[in-house]
Amino acid sequence: MFWRILWRLLYASRGRLALAVIAVASGAAVCAALLNLNLDATDKLTREFRVLGANVVISAAQNGDAAATIDAGAMQQIAQLRLPEIVAAAPYLYLSGRADAEGNSTAVILAGTRFDEVKRMNSWWKVDGSWVDARDSSSDCMIGEAAAARLGLVPGKTLKVAYGGREAALKVAGIITAGSSEDSQIFMGLPLAQDLAGLGARASLIQITARGSASEIEDVIRRLSGALPEVEVRPLRQLAQAEGRLLERIRGLLFGTVILILALSSLGVLAAMAGLALERRRDVGMMKALGGSVRRIMRFFLAEAMAIGLAGGICGFIVGMALSEWIGERVFSVSITPRLIVLPATLVLMVVVSLAGALPLRLLGRIRPSDILRGE
Amino acid sequence: MTAALVQAEDISKTFAGVRALDAVSFEVQSGEWIAIMGPSGSGKTTLINILGGLDRPTSGSALVDGVNVGILGERELTRYRAEKIGFVFQNFYLVPYLSALENVMLAQYFHSVADEAEAAESLARVGLKDRLDHLPSQLSGGEQQRVALARALINHPKLILADEPTGNLDEANEQLVLELLQELHRSGHTILLVTHSPEIGRMADRRIELAHGRLMHIVAKLT
Repeated sequence: MFWRILWRLLYASRGRLALAVIAVASGAAVCAALLNLNLDATDKLTREFRVLGANVVISAAQNGDAAATIDAGAMQQIAQLRLPEIVAAAPYLYLSGRADAEGNSTAVILAGTRFDEVKRMNSWWKVDGSWVDARDSSSDCMIGEAAAARLGLVPGKTLKVAYGGREAALKVAGIITAGSSEDSQIFMGLPLAQDLAGLGARASLIQITARGSASEIEDVIRRLSGALPEVEVRPLRQLAQAEGRLLERIRGLLFGTVILILALSSLGVLAAMAGLALERRRDVGMMKALGGSVRRIMRFFLAEAMAIGLAGGICGFIVGMALSEWIGERVFSVSITPRLIVLPATLVLMVVVSLAGALPLRLLGRIRPSDILRGE
Repeated sequence: MTAALVQAEDISKTFAGVRALDAVSFEVQSGEWIAIMGPSGSGKTTLINILGGLDRPTSGSALVDGVNVGILGERELTRYRAEKIGFVFQNFYLVPYLSALENVMLAQYFHSVADEAEAAESLARVGLKDRLDHLPSQLSGGEQQRVALARALINHPKLILADEPTGNLDEANEQLVLELLQELHRSGHTILLVTHSPEIGRMADRRIELAHGRLMHIVAKLT
Protein backbone atom coordinates (compact mmCIF):
# COMPACT_ATOMS: atom_id res chain seq x y z
CA MET A 1 0.00 0.00 0.00
CA PHE A 2 2.91 2.29 0.80
CA TRP A 3 4.32 2.09 -2.74
CA ARG A 4 0.87 2.38 -4.25
CA ILE A 5 0.17 5.61 -2.38
CA LEU A 6 3.68 6.88 -3.07
CA TRP A 7 3.20 6.34 -6.79
CA ARG A 8 -0.16 8.15 -6.66
CA LEU A 9 1.45 11.05 -4.79
CA LEU A 10 4.24 11.31 -7.34
CA TYR A 11 1.85 11.07 -10.26
CA ALA A 12 -0.61 13.58 -8.81
CA SER A 13 2.08 16.22 -8.23
CA ARG A 14 4.13 15.41 -11.31
CA GLY A 15 4.25 19.00 -12.56
CA ARG A 16 5.58 20.48 -9.34
CA LEU A 17 7.82 17.47 -8.73
CA ALA A 18 9.22 17.72 -12.25
CA LEU A 19 10.38 21.24 -11.38
CA ALA A 20 12.03 19.89 -8.24
CA VAL A 21 13.68 17.09 -10.24
CA ILE A 22 14.96 19.65 -12.76
CA ALA A 23 16.39 21.75 -9.91
CA VAL A 24 18.08 18.68 -8.43
CA ALA A 25 19.22 17.37 -11.82
CA SER A 26 20.78 20.75 -12.70
CA GLY A 27 22.65 20.78 -9.42
CA ALA A 28 23.57 17.12 -9.78
CA ALA A 29 24.90 17.70 -13.30
CA VAL A 30 27.24 20.45 -12.16
CA CYS A 31 28.25 18.54 -9.02
CA ALA A 32 28.86 15.30 -10.93
CA ALA A 33 30.85 17.18 -13.56
CA LEU A 34 32.99 18.96 -10.99
CA LEU A 35 33.51 15.83 -8.89
CA ASN A 36 34.54 13.94 -12.01
CA LEU A 37 36.85 16.77 -12.98
CA ASN A 38 38.31 16.76 -9.49
CA LEU A 39 39.01 13.04 -9.71
CA ASP A 40 40.05 12.77 -13.32
CA ALA A 41 41.23 16.17 -14.47
CA THR A 42 43.54 16.90 -11.56
CA ASP A 43 45.12 13.49 -12.06
CA LYS A 44 45.52 14.20 -15.74
CA LEU A 45 46.71 17.72 -15.09
CA THR A 46 49.31 16.29 -12.74
CA ARG A 47 50.42 14.12 -15.63
CA GLU A 48 50.33 17.14 -17.91
CA PHE A 49 52.52 19.06 -15.52
CA ARG A 50 54.90 16.13 -15.62
CA VAL A 51 55.57 16.74 -19.32
CA LEU A 52 56.95 20.12 -18.37
CA GLY A 53 60.23 18.43 -17.48
CA ALA A 54 62.06 17.06 -14.49
CA ASN A 55 60.94 17.64 -10.92
CA VAL A 56 63.68 15.70 -9.11
CA VAL A 57 67.40 16.04 -9.62
CA ILE A 58 70.24 13.81 -8.41
CA SER A 59 73.68 15.37 -8.20
CA ALA A 60 76.95 14.97 -6.34
CA ALA A 61 76.74 15.86 -2.65
CA GLN A 62 77.37 19.61 -2.19
CA ASN A 63 81.01 20.05 -1.33
CA GLY A 64 81.75 23.29 -3.15
CA ASP A 65 83.01 21.57 -6.28
CA ALA A 66 80.70 22.62 -9.14
CA ALA A 67 82.35 20.13 -11.49
CA ALA A 68 81.79 17.15 -9.18
CA THR A 69 80.28 14.16 -10.95
CA ILE A 70 78.39 11.10 -9.88
CA ASP A 71 78.70 7.47 -10.86
CA ALA A 72 76.43 6.87 -13.85
CA GLY A 73 75.82 3.41 -12.38
CA ALA A 74 73.25 5.15 -10.20
CA MET A 75 70.92 4.82 -13.22
CA GLN A 76 70.92 1.06 -12.74
CA GLN A 77 70.15 1.42 -9.04
CA ILE A 78 67.25 3.72 -9.88
CA ALA A 79 65.92 1.21 -12.42
CA GLN A 80 66.18 -1.58 -9.85
CA LEU A 81 63.95 0.36 -7.43
CA ARG A 82 61.13 -0.01 -9.99
CA LEU A 83 59.29 3.05 -8.69
CA PRO A 84 56.04 3.32 -10.65
CA GLU A 85 55.96 7.09 -10.15
CA ILE A 86 59.12 7.59 -12.21
CA VAL A 87 58.18 8.49 -15.78
CA ALA A 88 61.69 9.17 -17.05
CA ALA A 89 65.25 9.39 -15.71
CA ALA A 90 67.96 11.02 -17.81
CA PRO A 91 71.64 11.24 -16.87
CA TYR A 92 73.49 14.34 -18.06
CA LEU A 93 77.20 14.92 -18.41
CA TYR A 94 77.82 18.61 -19.14
CA LEU A 95 81.04 19.67 -20.85
CA SER A 96 82.05 23.22 -21.69
CA GLY A 97 83.45 22.64 -25.21
CA ARG A 98 83.52 24.09 -28.69
CA ALA A 99 81.59 23.43 -31.87
CA ASP A 100 82.53 24.13 -35.51
CA ALA A 101 80.27 23.98 -38.54
CA GLU A 102 79.74 25.74 -41.81
CA GLY A 103 82.81 27.88 -41.14
CA ASN A 104 81.46 29.08 -37.80
CA SER A 105 82.97 28.28 -34.43
CA THR A 106 81.50 28.86 -30.99
CA ALA A 107 81.90 27.91 -27.34
CA VAL A 108 79.00 25.68 -26.35
CA ILE A 109 77.71 23.41 -23.60
CA LEU A 110 77.84 19.78 -24.71
CA ALA A 111 75.28 17.61 -22.93
CA GLY A 112 75.79 13.87 -23.05
CA THR A 113 72.54 12.08 -22.27
CA ARG A 114 70.14 9.29 -23.22
CA PHE A 115 67.95 10.47 -26.07
CA ASP A 116 64.94 8.22 -25.32
CA GLU A 117 64.72 9.44 -21.71
CA VAL A 118 65.15 13.09 -22.70
CA LYS A 119 62.41 12.73 -25.30
CA ARG A 120 60.02 11.17 -22.75
CA MET A 121 60.84 13.83 -20.21
CA ASN A 122 60.51 16.78 -22.59
CA SER A 123 57.83 15.68 -24.99
CA TRP A 124 56.63 19.28 -25.23
CA TRP A 125 59.91 20.47 -26.82
CA LYS A 126 59.42 21.68 -30.35
CA VAL A 127 61.68 19.73 -32.70
CA ASP A 128 62.64 20.78 -36.22
CA GLY A 129 63.79 17.53 -37.89
CA SER A 130 63.53 14.43 -35.73
CA TRP A 131 64.62 12.97 -32.43
CA VAL A 132 67.68 10.72 -32.40
CA ASP A 133 66.36 7.15 -32.32
CA ALA A 134 69.25 5.36 -30.64
CA ARG A 135 69.57 5.95 -26.89
CA ASP A 136 73.40 6.19 -26.94
CA SER A 137 74.00 7.29 -30.55
CA SER A 138 77.60 8.33 -31.20
CA SER A 139 76.92 9.72 -34.69
CA ASP A 140 73.83 11.91 -34.30
CA CYS A 141 73.00 14.85 -32.10
CA MET A 142 70.22 17.30 -31.25
CA ILE A 143 71.04 20.97 -31.10
CA GLY A 144 69.32 23.88 -29.40
CA GLU A 145 67.97 26.53 -31.76
CA ALA A 146 70.24 29.32 -30.45
CA ALA A 147 73.35 27.18 -30.93
CA ALA A 148 72.13 26.05 -34.37
CA ALA A 149 71.62 29.69 -35.39
CA ARG A 150 75.14 30.62 -34.27
CA LEU A 151 76.59 27.73 -36.24
CA GLY A 152 74.26 28.09 -39.24
CA LEU A 153 73.04 24.52 -38.90
CA VAL A 154 69.87 22.84 -40.17
CA PRO A 155 68.84 19.20 -39.73
CA GLY A 156 70.98 16.85 -41.80
CA LYS A 157 74.11 19.02 -41.60
CA THR A 158 77.20 17.91 -39.73
CA LEU A 159 79.32 19.63 -37.10
CA LYS A 160 82.47 18.99 -35.17
CA VAL A 161 82.53 19.13 -31.36
CA ALA A 162 85.68 19.31 -29.28
CA TYR A 163 86.53 19.05 -25.59
CA GLY A 164 89.91 18.76 -23.90
CA GLY A 165 91.75 18.04 -27.13
CA ARG A 166 89.34 15.29 -28.23
CA GLU A 167 86.97 15.71 -31.18
CA ALA A 168 83.91 14.04 -32.67
CA ALA A 169 81.87 14.59 -35.83
CA LEU A 170 78.06 14.54 -35.48
CA LYS A 171 75.10 14.82 -37.79
CA VAL A 172 72.22 17.08 -36.70
CA ALA A 173 69.02 14.99 -36.41
CA GLY A 174 66.85 17.78 -35.02
CA ILE A 175 66.87 21.34 -33.76
CA ILE A 176 65.05 21.82 -30.48
CA THR A 177 63.19 24.81 -29.09
CA ALA A 178 62.75 24.48 -25.31
CA GLY A 179 62.54 28.12 -24.37
CA SER A 180 65.29 27.69 -21.79
CA SER A 181 69.04 27.15 -21.46
CA GLU A 182 68.76 23.92 -23.50
CA ASP A 183 68.37 26.13 -26.60
CA SER A 184 72.11 26.90 -26.39
CA GLN A 185 73.24 23.30 -25.85
CA ILE A 186 74.23 20.39 -28.07
CA PHE A 187 72.86 16.97 -27.00
CA MET A 188 74.87 13.88 -27.79
CA GLY A 189 74.97 10.28 -26.57
CA LEU A 190 76.25 9.87 -23.01
CA PRO A 191 79.07 7.37 -23.88
CA LEU A 192 80.45 9.81 -26.50
CA ALA A 193 80.47 12.69 -23.98
CA GLN A 194 82.15 10.42 -21.43
CA ASP A 195 84.81 9.53 -24.03
CA LEU A 196 85.39 13.23 -24.83
CA ALA A 197 85.75 13.98 -21.13
CA GLY A 198 87.85 10.89 -20.51
CA LEU A 199 85.89 10.39 -17.29
CA GLY A 200 84.60 6.86 -17.68
CA ALA A 201 81.05 6.09 -16.47
CA ARG A 202 80.38 9.44 -14.78
CA ALA A 203 77.56 11.97 -15.06
CA SER A 204 77.07 15.53 -13.83
CA LEU A 205 73.54 14.84 -12.65
CA ILE A 206 70.45 12.75 -13.25
CA GLN A 207 67.13 14.44 -13.97
CA ILE A 208 63.98 12.56 -13.00
CA THR A 209 60.36 13.13 -13.90
CA ALA A 210 58.09 11.63 -11.26
CA ARG A 211 54.30 11.51 -11.41
CA GLY A 212 52.00 12.14 -8.46
CA SER A 213 51.02 14.58 -5.76
CA ALA A 214 53.55 16.62 -3.81
CA SER A 215 53.54 14.01 -1.03
CA GLU A 216 54.01 11.16 -3.51
CA ILE A 217 57.00 12.95 -5.02
CA GLU A 218 58.40 13.54 -1.53
CA ASP A 219 58.10 9.79 -1.01
CA VAL A 220 59.98 9.09 -4.27
CA ILE A 221 62.77 11.44 -3.10
CA ARG A 222 62.95 9.65 0.27
CA ARG A 223 63.28 6.26 -1.40
CA LEU A 224 65.89 7.48 -3.90
CA SER A 225 67.90 9.06 -1.08
CA GLY A 226 67.75 5.79 0.81
CA ALA A 227 69.02 3.82 -2.17
CA LEU A 228 71.67 6.40 -3.17
CA PRO A 229 73.20 7.66 0.08
CA GLU A 230 76.38 9.01 -1.56
CA VAL A 231 74.53 11.53 -3.76
CA GLU A 232 72.10 14.37 -3.18
CA VAL A 233 68.48 13.91 -4.26
CA ARG A 234 66.41 17.09 -4.25
CA PRO A 235 63.16 18.30 -5.74
CA LEU A 236 62.96 21.08 -8.27
CA ARG A 237 60.77 22.93 -5.80
CA GLN A 238 59.75 25.93 -7.77
CA LEU A 239 57.84 23.91 -10.33
CA ALA A 240 56.50 21.34 -7.87
CA GLN A 241 55.15 24.03 -5.56
CA ALA A 242 53.61 25.97 -8.41
CA GLU A 243 51.90 22.79 -9.57
CA GLY A 244 50.70 22.06 -6.05
CA ARG A 245 49.35 25.58 -5.59
CA LEU A 246 47.53 25.52 -8.91
CA LEU A 247 45.99 22.13 -8.26
CA GLU A 248 44.94 23.18 -4.76
CA ARG A 249 43.31 26.29 -6.20
CA ILE A 250 41.48 24.28 -8.84
CA ARG A 251 40.35 21.80 -6.20
CA GLY A 252 39.21 24.61 -3.88
CA LEU A 253 37.27 26.22 -6.72
CA LEU A 254 35.60 22.92 -7.59
CA PHE A 255 34.56 22.19 -4.00
CA GLY A 256 33.38 25.75 -3.43
CA THR A 257 31.24 25.56 -6.54
CA VAL A 258 29.84 22.15 -5.52
CA ILE A 259 28.78 23.50 -2.13
CA LEU A 260 27.17 26.55 -3.71
CA ILE A 261 25.34 24.40 -6.24
CA LEU A 262 24.12 22.03 -3.52
CA ALA A 263 22.76 24.97 -1.54
CA LEU A 264 21.01 26.35 -4.64
CA SER A 265 19.53 22.93 -5.50
CA SER A 266 18.29 22.61 -1.96
CA LEU A 267 16.57 25.99 -2.28
CA GLY A 268 14.97 24.82 -5.54
CA VAL A 269 13.57 21.73 -3.82
CA LEU A 270 12.55 23.87 -0.84
CA ALA A 271 10.48 26.16 -3.06
CA ALA A 272 8.75 23.21 -4.77
CA MET A 273 8.14 21.42 -1.48
CA ALA A 274 6.80 24.53 0.26
CA GLY A 275 4.15 24.70 -2.47
CA LEU A 276 3.39 21.01 -2.03
CA ALA A 277 3.13 21.39 1.73
CA LEU A 278 0.46 24.05 1.27
CA GLU A 279 -1.37 21.91 -1.29
CA ARG A 280 -1.40 18.89 0.97
CA ARG A 281 -2.50 20.43 4.26
CA ARG A 282 -6.06 19.26 3.72
CA ASP A 283 -5.03 15.70 2.78
CA VAL A 284 -2.71 15.43 5.75
CA GLY A 285 -5.37 16.75 8.14
CA MET A 286 -7.81 14.19 6.77
CA MET A 287 -5.26 11.36 6.99
CA LYS A 288 -4.64 12.26 10.61
CA ALA A 289 -8.39 12.26 11.27
CA LEU A 290 -8.52 8.72 9.86
CA GLY A 291 -5.90 7.61 12.37
CA GLY A 292 -2.74 8.10 10.32
CA SER A 293 0.26 8.65 12.58
CA VAL A 294 2.62 11.54 11.84
CA ARG A 295 5.41 9.03 11.23
CA ARG A 296 3.43 7.02 8.70
CA ILE A 297 2.22 10.11 6.87
CA MET A 298 5.65 11.76 6.81
CA ARG A 299 7.16 8.57 5.44
CA PHE A 300 5.24 9.16 2.20
CA PHE A 301 6.59 12.65 1.83
CA LEU A 302 10.17 11.78 2.74
CA ALA A 303 10.07 8.88 0.26
CA GLU A 304 8.84 11.39 -2.30
CA ALA A 305 11.78 13.68 -1.54
CA MET A 306 14.17 10.73 -1.84
CA ALA A 307 12.63 9.80 -5.17
CA ILE A 308 13.24 13.38 -6.35
CA GLY A 309 16.85 13.14 -5.19
CA LEU A 310 17.41 9.79 -6.92
CA ALA A 311 15.72 10.78 -10.18
CA GLY A 312 17.50 14.14 -10.25
CA GLY A 313 20.79 12.51 -9.27
CA ILE A 314 20.66 9.92 -12.06
CA CYS A 315 19.65 12.45 -14.74
CA GLY A 316 22.24 14.90 -13.42
CA PHE A 317 24.97 12.26 -13.41
CA ILE A 318 24.41 11.49 -17.10
CA VAL A 319 24.43 15.17 -18.06
CA GLY A 320 27.32 15.82 -15.67
CA MET A 321 29.56 13.26 -17.32
CA ALA A 322 29.04 14.92 -20.69
CA LEU A 323 29.58 18.31 -19.08
CA SER A 324 32.84 17.24 -17.42
CA GLU A 325 34.09 15.96 -20.76
CA TRP A 326 33.28 19.30 -22.36
CA ILE A 327 34.85 21.34 -19.53
CA GLY A 328 37.89 19.05 -19.57
CA GLU A 329 38.48 19.64 -23.24
CA ARG A 330 37.57 23.33 -23.38
CA VAL A 331 39.08 24.54 -20.12
CA PHE A 332 41.87 22.14 -19.21
CA SER A 333 42.60 20.66 -22.64
CA VAL A 334 42.56 17.13 -21.26
CA SER A 335 40.19 14.33 -22.16
CA ILE A 336 38.08 13.30 -19.17
CA THR A 337 37.05 9.73 -18.38
CA PRO A 338 33.72 9.26 -16.53
CA ARG A 339 34.38 7.83 -13.05
CA LEU A 340 31.60 5.53 -11.81
CA ILE A 341 32.38 6.38 -8.19
CA VAL A 342 30.88 9.80 -8.94
CA LEU A 343 27.42 8.19 -9.38
CA PRO A 344 26.90 7.00 -5.77
CA ALA A 345 28.50 10.21 -4.50
CA THR A 346 26.11 12.30 -6.59
CA LEU A 347 23.10 10.23 -5.56
CA VAL A 348 23.92 10.50 -1.86
CA LEU A 349 24.48 14.26 -2.15
CA MET A 350 21.25 14.77 -4.05
CA VAL A 351 19.16 12.67 -1.67
CA VAL A 352 20.58 14.67 1.25
CA VAL A 353 19.87 17.91 -0.63
CA SER A 354 16.29 16.80 -1.39
CA LEU A 355 15.63 15.75 2.18
CA ALA A 356 16.99 19.09 3.38
CA GLY A 357 14.80 20.84 0.83
CA ALA A 358 11.81 18.83 2.06
CA LEU A 359 12.01 20.43 5.50
CA PRO A 360 8.81 22.47 4.93
CA LEU A 361 6.94 19.16 4.75
CA ARG A 362 7.82 18.60 8.39
CA LEU A 363 5.39 21.41 9.18
CA LEU A 364 2.64 19.09 7.96
CA GLY A 365 3.28 17.00 11.06
CA ARG A 366 1.97 19.88 13.20
CA ILE A 367 -1.34 20.17 11.39
CA ARG A 368 -4.36 19.67 13.64
CA PRO A 369 -7.06 17.73 11.80
CA SER A 370 -9.83 19.67 13.51
CA ASP A 371 -8.44 22.93 12.06
CA ILE A 372 -8.51 21.46 8.57
CA LEU A 373 -12.00 20.02 8.98
CA ARG A 374 -13.21 23.42 10.22
CA GLY A 375 -11.85 24.82 6.96
CA GLU A 376 -9.01 26.87 8.52
CA MET B 1 -27.75 -2.38 32.47
CA THR B 2 -24.52 -2.29 30.48
CA ALA B 3 -22.19 0.76 30.67
CA ALA B 4 -22.93 3.47 28.10
CA LEU B 5 -20.68 3.51 25.02
CA VAL B 6 -20.38 7.29 25.25
CA GLN B 7 -20.38 9.19 28.52
CA ALA B 8 -20.04 12.96 28.15
CA GLU B 9 -19.68 14.69 31.49
CA ASP B 10 -19.72 18.48 31.77
CA ILE B 11 -17.81 18.94 28.53
CA SER B 12 -16.82 22.55 27.95
CA LYS B 13 -14.73 23.92 25.14
CA THR B 14 -13.44 27.46 24.73
CA PHE B 15 -11.87 28.85 21.55
CA ALA B 16 -10.00 32.14 22.05
CA GLY B 17 -12.32 33.19 24.84
CA VAL B 18 -15.49 32.06 23.07
CA ARG B 19 -17.31 29.24 24.78
CA ALA B 20 -18.30 26.72 22.10
CA LEU B 21 -19.56 24.10 24.53
CA ASP B 22 -20.79 24.71 28.02
CA ALA B 23 -21.02 21.81 30.49
CA VAL B 24 -22.65 19.33 28.13
CA SER B 25 -23.47 15.94 29.62
CA PHE B 26 -25.24 12.94 28.09
CA GLU B 27 -24.86 9.24 27.52
CA VAL B 28 -25.21 7.08 24.44
CA GLN B 29 -25.88 3.37 24.61
CA SER B 30 -24.29 0.95 22.21
CA GLY B 31 -26.41 0.55 19.06
CA GLU B 32 -28.19 3.88 19.46
CA TRP B 33 -28.63 6.44 16.69
CA ILE B 34 -28.33 9.93 18.10
CA ALA B 35 -29.03 13.09 16.13
CA ILE B 36 -27.22 16.20 17.33
CA MET B 37 -29.17 19.24 16.30
CA GLY B 38 -29.08 22.95 16.75
CA PRO B 39 -28.47 26.20 14.91
CA SER B 40 -25.10 27.10 13.36
CA GLY B 41 -22.49 27.86 16.01
CA SER B 42 -24.32 25.86 18.66
CA GLY B 43 -21.34 23.54 19.17
CA LYS B 44 -22.52 20.42 17.30
CA THR B 45 -19.31 19.89 15.30
CA THR B 46 -17.15 20.78 18.30
CA LEU B 47 -18.94 18.10 20.30
CA ILE B 48 -18.35 15.32 17.78
CA ASN B 49 -14.78 16.49 17.21
CA ILE B 50 -14.16 16.02 20.93
CA LEU B 51 -15.82 12.61 20.95
CA GLY B 52 -13.80 11.66 17.87
CA GLY B 53 -10.48 12.70 19.40
CA LEU B 54 -9.92 15.55 16.94
CA ASP B 55 -10.20 18.18 19.69
CA ARG B 56 -9.73 18.20 23.44
CA PRO B 57 -12.30 19.52 25.91
CA THR B 58 -11.25 22.53 27.95
CA SER B 59 -12.91 20.86 30.92
CA GLY B 60 -15.11 17.86 31.60
CA SER B 61 -14.56 14.39 30.27
CA ALA B 62 -15.54 12.34 27.24
CA LEU B 63 -15.50 8.59 27.80
CA VAL B 64 -15.90 6.45 24.69
CA ASP B 65 -15.86 2.70 25.11
CA GLY B 66 -14.17 3.23 28.47
CA VAL B 67 -11.45 5.52 27.10
CA ASN B 68 -11.15 9.05 28.49
CA VAL B 69 -10.47 10.76 25.19
CA GLY B 70 -9.52 14.13 26.67
CA ILE B 71 -6.43 12.86 28.48
CA LEU B 72 -4.91 10.80 25.66
CA GLY B 73 -1.52 11.78 24.24
CA GLU B 74 -1.12 12.46 20.51
CA ARG B 75 -0.07 8.90 19.71
CA GLU B 76 -2.91 7.33 21.72
CA LEU B 77 -5.37 9.70 20.10
CA THR B 78 -4.18 8.60 16.67
CA ARG B 79 -4.69 4.93 17.60
CA TYR B 80 -8.05 5.79 19.15
CA ARG B 81 -9.25 7.43 15.93
CA ALA B 82 -7.99 4.54 13.82
CA GLU B 83 -9.52 1.81 15.97
CA LYS B 84 -12.71 3.14 17.51
CA ILE B 85 -14.06 5.91 15.28
CA GLY B 86 -15.50 6.03 11.78
CA PHE B 87 -15.82 9.59 10.46
CA VAL B 88 -18.19 10.79 7.75
CA PHE B 89 -17.90 14.47 6.84
CA GLN B 90 -20.17 16.83 4.97
CA ASN B 91 -17.35 17.56 2.48
CA PHE B 92 -16.46 13.85 2.11
CA TYR B 93 -12.72 14.53 2.57
CA LEU B 94 -11.53 11.84 0.21
CA VAL B 95 -7.89 11.95 -0.95
CA PRO B 96 -8.28 13.36 -4.48
CA TYR B 97 -5.43 11.42 -6.09
CA LEU B 98 -6.45 8.02 -4.68
CA SER B 99 -9.16 5.87 -6.27
CA ALA B 100 -12.32 4.93 -4.37
CA LEU B 101 -10.75 1.58 -3.51
CA GLU B 102 -7.47 3.17 -2.38
CA ASN B 103 -9.31 5.70 -0.21
CA VAL B 104 -10.89 2.81 1.68
CA MET B 105 -7.59 0.92 1.79
CA LEU B 106 -5.86 4.01 3.21
CA ALA B 107 -8.01 3.74 6.35
CA GLN B 108 -7.09 0.04 6.59
CA TYR B 109 -3.42 0.92 6.14
CA PHE B 110 -3.53 3.43 9.01
CA HIS B 111 -5.40 0.90 11.17
CA SER B 112 -3.26 -2.16 10.43
CA VAL B 113 -2.86 -3.79 7.03
CA ALA B 114 -4.55 -2.90 3.75
CA ASP B 115 -6.72 -5.69 2.34
CA GLU B 116 -7.85 -4.97 -1.21
CA ALA B 117 -10.53 -7.68 -1.32
CA GLU B 118 -12.14 -6.51 1.92
CA ALA B 119 -12.04 -2.88 0.76
CA ALA B 120 -13.68 -3.84 -2.54
CA GLU B 121 -16.39 -5.76 -0.66
CA SER B 122 -17.01 -2.75 1.57
CA LEU B 123 -17.52 -0.57 -1.51
CA ALA B 124 -19.79 -3.19 -3.05
CA ARG B 125 -21.96 -3.01 0.09
CA VAL B 126 -22.57 0.71 -0.53
CA GLY B 127 -23.37 0.03 -4.19
CA LEU B 128 -20.04 1.07 -5.72
CA LYS B 129 -18.84 -2.27 -7.05
CA ASP B 130 -18.34 -0.70 -10.48
CA ARG B 131 -16.58 2.44 -9.24
CA LEU B 132 -13.58 0.95 -7.47
CA ASP B 133 -10.94 2.54 -9.68
CA HIS B 134 -12.59 5.90 -10.08
CA LEU B 135 -10.98 8.97 -8.61
CA PRO B 136 -13.18 11.16 -6.38
CA SER B 137 -13.36 13.74 -9.17
CA GLN B 138 -14.96 11.07 -11.38
CA LEU B 139 -17.68 10.31 -8.81
CA SER B 140 -20.90 12.17 -8.01
CA GLY B 141 -21.36 13.75 -4.57
CA GLY B 142 -23.55 10.86 -3.45
CA GLU B 143 -21.00 8.32 -4.64
CA GLN B 144 -18.20 10.16 -2.87
CA GLN B 145 -20.20 10.14 0.35
CA ARG B 146 -20.79 6.40 -0.03
CA VAL B 147 -17.04 5.92 -0.46
CA ALA B 148 -16.60 7.91 2.76
CA LEU B 149 -19.15 5.63 4.45
CA ALA B 150 -17.33 2.52 3.25
CA ARG B 151 -14.07 4.03 4.53
CA ALA B 152 -15.67 4.83 7.90
CA LEU B 153 -16.90 1.27 8.30
CA ILE B 154 -13.88 -0.66 7.02
CA ASN B 155 -12.15 -0.94 10.41
CA HIS B 156 -15.35 -1.93 12.26
CA PRO B 157 -15.43 1.16 14.50
CA LYS B 158 -17.28 1.30 17.80
CA LEU B 159 -18.75 4.68 16.95
CA ILE B 160 -19.71 6.36 13.68
CA LEU B 161 -19.52 10.14 13.81
CA ALA B 162 -21.26 11.78 10.88
CA ASP B 163 -21.12 15.56 10.51
CA GLU B 164 -23.99 16.60 8.25
CA PRO B 165 -23.31 13.71 5.88
CA THR B 166 -26.15 14.71 3.56
CA GLY B 167 -25.49 18.45 3.67
CA ASN B 168 -23.90 18.54 0.23
CA LEU B 169 -26.14 16.00 -1.50
CA ASP B 170 -29.19 16.27 -3.70
CA GLU B 171 -32.42 14.64 -2.59
CA ALA B 172 -31.85 11.32 -4.36
CA ASN B 173 -28.35 10.88 -3.02
CA GLU B 174 -29.46 12.06 0.44
CA GLN B 175 -32.02 9.28 0.40
CA LEU B 176 -29.41 6.71 -0.59
CA VAL B 177 -27.05 7.74 2.18
CA LEU B 178 -29.83 7.82 4.77
CA GLU B 179 -30.91 4.31 3.76
CA LEU B 180 -27.34 3.15 4.26
CA LEU B 181 -27.22 4.79 7.69
CA GLN B 182 -30.52 3.16 8.65
CA GLU B 183 -29.17 -0.18 7.53
CA LEU B 184 -26.06 0.37 9.66
CA HIS B 185 -28.25 1.25 12.60
CA ARG B 186 -30.32 -1.88 12.13
CA SER B 187 -27.16 -3.96 12.07
CA GLY B 188 -26.21 -2.60 15.50
CA HIS B 189 -23.83 0.29 14.76
CA THR B 190 -23.78 3.27 17.10
CA ILE B 191 -24.21 6.51 15.18
CA LEU B 192 -23.89 10.14 16.26
CA LEU B 193 -25.09 12.30 13.42
CA VAL B 194 -25.03 16.08 13.25
CA THR B 195 -27.88 17.49 11.17
CA HIS B 196 -29.97 20.56 10.63
CA SER B 197 -32.76 18.55 9.12
CA PRO B 198 -35.77 17.80 11.40
CA GLU B 199 -36.71 14.87 9.10
CA ILE B 200 -33.35 13.22 9.58
CA GLY B 201 -33.47 14.06 13.27
CA ARG B 202 -36.74 12.20 13.58
CA MET B 203 -35.15 9.03 12.21
CA ALA B 204 -32.78 8.92 15.22
CA ASP B 205 -33.53 7.13 18.48
CA ARG B 206 -32.88 10.36 20.35
CA ARG B 207 -32.17 13.98 19.49
CA ILE B 208 -29.69 16.07 21.44
CA GLU B 209 -30.49 19.72 20.89
CA LEU B 210 -27.81 22.32 21.48
CA ALA B 211 -27.98 26.12 21.53
CA HIS B 212 -25.08 28.49 22.27
CA GLY B 213 -23.01 25.52 23.38
CA ARG B 214 -25.50 24.37 25.97
CA LEU B 215 -27.55 21.18 25.90
CA MET B 216 -31.16 22.33 25.71
CA HIS B 217 -33.11 19.08 25.30
CA ILE B 218 -32.71 15.39 24.80
CA VAL B 219 -35.74 14.19 22.91
CA ALA B 220 -36.55 10.50 22.50
CA LYS B 221 -38.12 9.21 19.29
CA LEU B 222 -41.86 8.84 19.39
CA THR B 223 -42.78 5.22 18.93
